[in-house]
Amino acid sequence: METYITLALAIVTAPLFPGIILKVKAFFAGKQGPPLFIKYFTVMKLLRKGSVYSTSTSFVFKLGPTVSFTTALIVLLFFPFAGSMPLFSFHGDVIVLFYIMGIGRFFTVIAALDTASPFEGMGAAREVFFSTIAEVTIFTILILFYRLNGSLSFGEYFTGETHISPMNASGALLLFVIVALFMVLLTENSRVPVDDPATHLELTMIHEVMILDHSGPDLALIELGSFYKLFFYSAFITHIICPFTFASGAVNGLIFFAILTCIYIAIGLTESIMARFKMDLVPQFILTSFALVFFAAILTMGVLQ
Amino acid sequence: MDTFVFSLTVLLAGGLFALLAFRQFSLMKAGYIALTVSGSLIGLYAIKVPLVDGTLVTFSITWLHLFTLSFRLDSLSAFFLIPIFAVCPLAVFYSFHYMDNAAQRGRVAVNYFFLTLLIISMALVATADNVISFALVWELMSLSSFFLVMHDYQKKTTRRAGYIYFIFSHVGAMFIFAAFALAYSYTGTFDFLSFADIPGNIKIIVFFLALVGFGSKAGIFPLHMWLPHAHPAAPSNISAIMSGVMIKMGIYGIFRLYANLGVTDLIFGEAVLTLGIISGILGVVYALGKHDLKKLLAYHSVENIGIILIGTGIGMIGIASENMVMASFGFAGGLLHVLNHSIFKSLLFFGAGAVLQKTGVRHIDQLGGLMKRMPTTGKTFLIGSVSISGLPPFNGFVSEFLIYYGAFHGLTLGGSSFIFTMLAILSLAIIGGLAAACFSKVVGVVFLGEPRTEKAAGAFEPGFTMTLPMILLAATCVVIGVFPEPFVLAAFQGLKSIKTLHLVDVNEVAMIVGNLAFAARLFLGVFVFSVLIRKFFYFKKEITEGATWGCGFTQPTTKMQYTGTSYAISIVDFFRPFVHIRTNYSGISRIFPGRTTYNTRVDDIAETALMDRIVSPVLYLLAKLRWIQHGHIQLYIGYIIVTIIVLLLFI
Repeated sequence: METYITLALAIVTAPLFPGIILKVKAFFAGKQGPPLFIKYFTVMKLLRKGSVYSTSTSFVFKLGPTVSFTTALIVLLFFPFAGSMPLFSFHGDVIVLFYIMGIGRFFTVIAALDTASPFEGMGAAREVFFSTIAEVTIFTILILFYRLNGSLSFGEYFTGETHISPMNASGALLLFVIVALFMVLLTENSRVPVDDPATHLELTMIHEVMILDHSGPDLALIELGSFYKLFFYSAFITHIICPFTFASGAVNGLIFFAILTCIYIAIGLTESIMARFKMDLVPQFILTSFALVFFAAILTMGVLQ
Repeated sequence: MDTFVFSLTVLLAGGLFALLAFRQFSLMKAGYIALTVSGSLIGLYAIKVPLVDGTLVTFSITWLHLFTLSFRLDSLSAFFLIPIFAVCPLAVFYSFHYMDNAAQRGRVAVNYFFLTLLIISMALVATADNVISFALVWELMSLSSFFLVMHDYQKKTTRRAGYIYFIFSHVGAMFIFAAFALAYSYTGTFDFLSFADIPGNIKIIVFFLALVGFGSKAGIFPLHMWLPHAHPAAPSNISAIMSGVMIKMGIYGIFRLYANLGVTDLIFGEAVLTLGIISGILGVVYALGKHDLKKLLAYHSVENIGIILIGTGIGMIGIASENMVMASFGFAGGLLHVLNHSIFKSLLFFGAGAVLQKTGVRHIDQLGGLMKRMPTTGKTFLIGSVSISGLPPFNGFVSEFLIYYGAFHGLTLGGSSFIFTMLAILSLAIIGGLAAACFSKVVGVVFLGEPRTEKAAGAFEPGFTMTLPMILLAATCVVIGVFPEPFVLAAFQGLKSIKTLHLVDVNEVAMIVGNLAFAARLFLGVFVFSVLIRKFFYFKKEITEGATWGCGFTQPTTKMQYTGTSYAISIVDFFRPFVHIRTNYSGISRIFPGRTTYNTRVDDIAETALMDRIVSPVLYLLAKLRWIQHGHIQLYIGYIIVTIIVLLLFI
């Protein structure tokens, strides 16, 4: 039962949290900012509309939003929100899920290339480059987790007897993971300092420029997909910070959403106090995250012996 | 074995028929296709029994009264025979509309004959059971494929490619024969099974000598140089067979030798894994840097051979450290990737051949918008691209998942094995990401957007004999991805020939693969759900068409589209020490600049190193000895006499 409740909560509340980021940014800019439910309004508005398709595009363009939405949704089905059992889980599911996210990216990218627009091609090229490096960080984290407790699925990481916890003997290594994963979160979800979701200059964008030509319900699906993706990464970090092993499910849930909100606030803070990097600094930024977790993985050689 | 020999006989009859009936062009092609397809089907039937219950089938013949040529069909051979008998008939079928120049009917007939020889020799390589028979059919395979590469022999580039291939295949063969000779000097018999009796340190030399030879056939970096030359030069159906099937014979050689030597040292696994990592990463990086469609696919073969070797290396390390979960899944992933790669790579080469035939253009930056003009080719190519990028729910992911699964279970090892396993996982992740980058480039630039040239704009769908094999192969990609169980179990069955490997329980394998299949089906289910949601929200909505948003620019041209070169350059640049990027930029000098040019090229470091460090010095040295060769017959006879006299002194 808890499984269904937390999953439903995740799916329903995911669009709420980006509103928090906007509020934090508005606070720092000394503005009132948009309402907290702005993303719900945006999605509703888009769903009511029709679409304009470019004459250059083929069926691939329409496939892109659907596939990226699908992949973002599936990942949520495997995640143990607030320490409850995930809806689906099997030994090795993390590999499948990160590859499923890969197929979402593949179709977003080729949908962008389908428009014959030079800007979208540019965004696509950057997206595949940066996400390839980010993938290396992710897999190093998986290696580290396997070394820590021999598990290979989100369910095994965060539920059960041998869950990953900062309180364990090698919990200090998780600090590296938290920092690295936050950097990957910023990269994969096109946040400042890697990308700027608010900019209106197409040349400087990565993710936003790829979806310039989408409109109506298609754009709504993309937006929903990106909310789910951000929610997944934030929840991932939340679970590493705090293992949800409290007796009551309600307490678990409350603490989960509290920490989750903190992570979104942290994203908002980062966006407020940092400028975006020059494009050639971005690979170095992602490689830093890799170096952190790689170091942690090497340290396990000493810890386990 | 009778059915197996019968299938080869039918195949041979097809080749001879093509030679005899070449004057009737269409009849010759139809008859050849019918015989080859039926021969291959009989062959598939023949390998069913050894693959299912592992019974051995053997036959031998005496040759020149001295040697016994013996052949043996076990489960490992049977697994490698699947791509041979499944992909080759499709490539032959494809050739009906692909080789449609009736003026060249004689040459097409010769091509068919050598193709038959290639298919038969590959089937025999996979079953050869002693040194002599292996060497014989290996040579036959190299020579017949050489003639296939030389199909367009009037072109200078083709001749050059053919010679490069010839040199590489024969230098490779030399290493293999050296390994066999060394083994023979210790065992005294030609039998493969006696290899187990060689002393341990000699086994290492034998293995690594043969690894060079098999590696040059398989296309392991840096012995891969012939691939990017030979594949673009050969006709596309031949490239499909050579890249999809023939290079796997090198992998077969490594598997078979490893099984026969019965070695369990760590060094073998670590060496193979390292070669796999290098081939995998550099293969895909060079593929990103290349913009000739077929050359790019050739580099992807290097990459996929890398993935196969990573799996094999994981398996060997697993055996060395007695971690049988790691060993079983590593080997099984590598073996299944052999089959998977043969499917999607031949599919992609068929697609490239169709594009080439209808546009005459190989450079991807001159194509574009073909999805609308060649929908079947485009859609099947898209499926092939997703599969080769190793993305679920297609077949490439199944084998990569098995390798990952094996590698992750090797992470508990200590010391150097841990480092190697970790590097294997990380390089698989890099390869996966870069392959997706490369194929989003190919699909996006070639098939999507607007056509960049007149030639691309005038393309149309090829004949049904070309599209049908592509549809079949694309369907197979999906089937293996969604129903992987029988294929994974077949790979596990094939591994039973490796005696040092104690396979994990079948039920455990079935459970893991079942989970994988579940994930693929779940993906399809959620995908259908999303499509329905989308349909619901678009129900009775206003849909309009317009131009692509040009960010306020009102005069866009198709030349403004992002090119494949710019798409890939930042990634290639990231790997700069291992990749040579040469740029020529004329620069802008005056206030009203003249014609400005910019071009960039990615050079293969292995090739430049070979040219600069080995070929040039040797040529320089040999040029100094040119005076020996002067054209006076009487002096040549003098050389012979002097040589004989000198040799006589040693008797």
